[in-house]
Amino acid sequence: SVKQHVVRKFLSLISSHNIAVYLIDPLILELVDKDLEQIRSSPDAPSPECRYFCAPRDFTTFALLDKTWKHEVGFFRTAEKMGFQWLKIINKDPRLDGMDDLSGIEIPLHYVFKLASHAIHLVVFYERSGNYLWHGPLRLKQHMDRKFVPFRKLRFGRYPGAYEKPELLLVSIDDLKVQIPKNPSSFLEEMSHSRFLECRYREARAFFQLYPDDASLDAVEFRRKAKSLLHLAVLTLNNLGVKFWLSSGTCLGWYRQCNVIPHSKDVDLGVFIRDYKADIIPAFQKAGLPLKHKFGKVEDSLELSFQGEDDVKLDIFFFYEEADHIWNGGTQAKSGKKFKYLFPKFTLCWTEFVELKVHVPCETLQYVEANYGPDWKVPVKTWDWKSSPSNVQYNGVWPVDEWDDVIQIY
Amino acid sequence: MDEWKPNSTIKPHKKRSWYLAWKYKLMNQRALRKLCQTGAVLFLLVTVIVNIKLILDTRRAAYAEEEESAQDYDDDMLNVEVPRHPVSNKKVLDVEVYSSRSKVYVAVDGTTVLEDEAREQGRGIHVIVLNQATGHVMAKRVFDTYSPHEDEAMVLFLNMVARGRILIFTIKDEGSFHLKDTAKNVLKSLGSQVAPFLSWRDMWTFVGKKGGEVYGEKHAKSPALSTWGDPVLLKTEVHLTSVEDAECHWPDTELNRRRKRFCSKVEGYGSVCSCKDPTPIEFNPDPLKDNKVFNVPVAVIAGNRPNYLYRMLRSLLSAQGVNPQMITVFIDGYYEEPMDVVELFGLSGIQHTPISIKNARVSQHYKASLTATFNLFPDAKFAVVLEEDLDISVDFFSFLSQSIHLLEEDESLYCISAWNDQGYEHTAEDPSLLYRVETMPGLGWVLRKSLYKDELEPKWPTPEKLWDWDMWMRMPEQRKGRECIIPDISRSYHFGIVGLNMNGYFHEAYFKKHKFNTVPNVQLKNVESLRKDAYETEIHRLLGEAEVLDHSKNPCEDSFVPDTEGRVYVMFIRMEQEADFTTWTQLAKCLHIWDLDVRGNHKGLWRLFRKKNHFLVVGVPASPYSSKKPSSVTPIYMEPPAKEEGAVAVPAVAAAEQT
Repeated sequence: SVKQHVVRKFLSLISSHNIAVYLIDPLILELVDKDLEQIRSSPDAPSPECRYFCAPRDFTTFALLDKTWKHEVGFFRTAEKMGFQWLKIINKDPRLDGMDDLSGIEIPLHYVFKLASHAIHLVVFYERSGNYLWHGPLRLKQHMDRKFVPFRKLRFGRYPGAYEKPELLLVSIDDLKVQIPKNPSSFLEEMSHSRFLECRYREARAFFQLYPDDASLDAVEFRRKAKSLLHLAVLTLNNLGVKFWLSSGTCLGWYRQCNVIPHSKDVDLGVFIRDYKADIIPAFQKAGLPLKHKFGKVEDSLELSFQGEDDVKLDIFFFYEEADHIWNGGTQAKSGKKFKYLFPKFTLCWTEFVELKVHVPCETLQYVEANYGPDWKVPVKTWDWKSSPSNVQYNGVWPVDEWDDVIQIY
Repeated sequence: MDEWKPNSTIKPHKKRSWYLAWKYKLMNQRALRKLCQTGAVLFLLVTVIVNIKLILDTRRAAYAEEEESAQDYDDDMLNVEVPRHPVSNKKVLDVEVYSSRSKVYVAVDGTTVLEDEAREQGRGIHVIVLNQATGHVMAKRVFDTYSPHEDEAMVLFLNMVARGRILIFTIKDEGSFHLKDTAKNVLKSLGSQVAPFLSWRDMWTFVGKKGGEVYGEKHAKSPALSTWGDPVLLKTEVHLTSVEDAECHWPDTELNRRRKRFCSKVEGYGSVCSCKDPTPIEFNPDPLKDNKVFNVPVAVIAGNRPNYLYRMLRSLLSAQGVNPQMITVFIDGYYEEPMDVVELFGLSGIQHTPISIKNARVSQHYKASLTATFNLFPDAKFAVVLEEDLDISVDFFSFLSQSIHLLEEDESLYCISAWNDQGYEHTAEDPSLLYRVETMPGLGWVLRKSLYKDELEPKWPTPEKLWDWDMWMRMPEQRKGRECIIPDISRSYHFGIVGLNMNGYFHEAYFKKHKFNTVPNVQLKNVESLRKDAYETEIHRLLGEAEVLDHSKNPCEDSFVPDTEGRVYVMFIRMEQEADFTTWTQLAKCLHIWDLDVRGNHKGLWRLFRKKNHFLVVGVPASPYSSKKPSSVTPIYMEPPAKEEGAVAVPAVAAAEQT
């Protein structure tokens, strides 16, 4: 088959230049995943038929870790000699995007190598702060050949993506030796939720032009504490396998200024109630963050608060999904009054925040606007969680006999 | 400008930009001169602002365009590229060269490539080198041949320029006082008829091809000692040659392609562009066995001193164990030539829009560079920080590879530095010896990521604070009592003599005689004894074995130290409390070592060499090592000189700010 032939040629091209790539083609990985046991157990068994690389498709997709290769021009010359036509997609380096006034390098994000009727899509992955891999979007520049390959059918590049660093496995499929993610099914699962949002650095700069950053020692100290608290929270929740996102003020800080808001007093995370685990409280306690209060219950308006270093607290709000909206609850301790905060439905995207890979609502603007109203761009120093949010609703009072359970303060 | 006499021969060139034309017209009318003087400054300001705004707007617009389309993937139309200027196929260049007391300019095909009318600047002979095929400016230099030795630099430069290049000369103010015969002969050999007779305050312009024809020369004699020659304007045409003729025919390799790109753009780098036997641009030094710093990023902090950067990168890339992939050069400003140098060596370079002024600008550049380094190499625990005016020792990486684990494990350490502030030719001896010091020398050092990210970056001085980054880093609030590890013999050499806080005198006095290690693969000794507690044991051992010098003698005299080799001596000086450096400063002065501020101390102890003997200085009673002083010895006290004598030629600011 042409496809197998092209893949074989490509693999020999990259190995002749000592470049390491791994297979991330979702179609092939799905097929491989089904036979994984067998492929693992008999790595050198000759295959009777072309089962994987001959499956019908226009592309075969591989990943390349940027730091493992030297950008040798000779590589492309060899490719041409072998008959490949190739295309390089470059763009700004997002690792420097957050920085004022740096310029100079555009980095390669994608390569497409075409031979006969098949093409290889090579996605370049970069390591970023927060111990994760990132790939960029695929955007064609005006002078580029739009018909080079059917770009719309590409499985990577519609959005930028964030991934864990994968463990790799060398396998032999269709008599070709190739590296694949050690656990193809979890890679495929990761891929389906990999969309990455870059922080809005340009808008953040504009914000700071309008409202200069607080550079006082107090602000520096608070940011340091908030950052280390967030690092600890992320570690704890990731170990438990609980999915979470930046919420309330922390989310606003990310969206508006790409940083912790220095006059906010806590760190806020959101968790879907379906992801709630009873282990959460002991896990945080073990991490050195004692429970400060617990309001509500799993069935209704659950909210946990943990005590971090020097009065900086970590709030975890649990979110409840309805048919057309999502909400979380609030409780006033002294009166037992309940509040409800309504949000339009959202999905989760990855982003980078204070050197962490974390989730934020993909539809961040709607989320922030629901919470803070149309004037969210204006910093507000006095904030009343019961009346200030635009999306707050009065939600009755807890029955007095439940208070011991739904209002716990430590 | 007051002396400038309108000259009827100067008419604005048709193609010169409208505002220049307008400016000159105004200046021709005496009545408007007063207005012009005040107006010119304002006008210049406005022009600058308008231009900056224009640049910013264009950049912003380009960005916005991209963002918009990025939102819709299916629209996949992006980054509309600005078409390059059509390359004109013209074979002839119009060249205009102007020489006068207060202003020089050079215009090539109507584009001003040099314009200098700044007061008290740019005196001497301005030289411009054009590519004979494209007409592009390849080098721009000014040699202040009114002052000594500058003519030698000019000769050196002219000799480096390849045959066939177009050379343009023009004098501003005065260019003959120290223009010696050698230089005059070189100019004569280029075809100048006037050069041999150039004299005091003559005006002169000359355009010629190196090793070829003369395109024009104009000269105006100064009529008297107190006046200048009349301004001269030379207008001439230069015939371009084919690109083929302007290039060397090196074998077609990856490296030579880089070389070709470089050599067709810039001049003044000597044998790297020689057609016959070009000097290599790839060095392949021996790898280091068990290299612990192979994956440590190296940030090279650079400004617009491309010749320095060239020399620096050559030495860096020749050091054993270097990993070119980890090197990033950060250029402070949108300068092309430093970037050309970076690309010549196949390295990656990043430009940084200047923020703030003077020392604060450097400080902001440092911050951006360090942040970018850790962003680009998120796995790195350390970064090596270098500057463009350093030579790097052949065993620089070997030195770091042997010591970096200390920085990782010993929290009482602040940095590892390749530079010993007190390591001069006459005071440093042992390439295998390391010290702990309470000061941060900089000039080639290793920074721990956690120190930067958790402590320094969040409170780095903001642009409006005109602070030096290194002075700030040395402040107790930042250093918090931590120490740096340094070698006895420096692994870097500070060769820069042009810089923000630097001048020739200063360099001669404080840097030129610095010792620099040239021995490869030095095995460092007792690295483990550099740890916090082990170092104390080591110092006590050393003091125990040291012979006490005769304190009745003058410590400044050579005879203070016996004519021995390899011995350990100790002397005691007066030091009333931790911050009392009165005697030390006087001693440093007479020993001709760094005396502008206190460097190289560890708990009131200084370690150096005199006459090849290890020489220890203990400050009594402040130093905890004072107990080693025999009771019979009175610590030496040296009085600071009276105020008038103290006024040295070094400006106080430069002294305090210099690394």
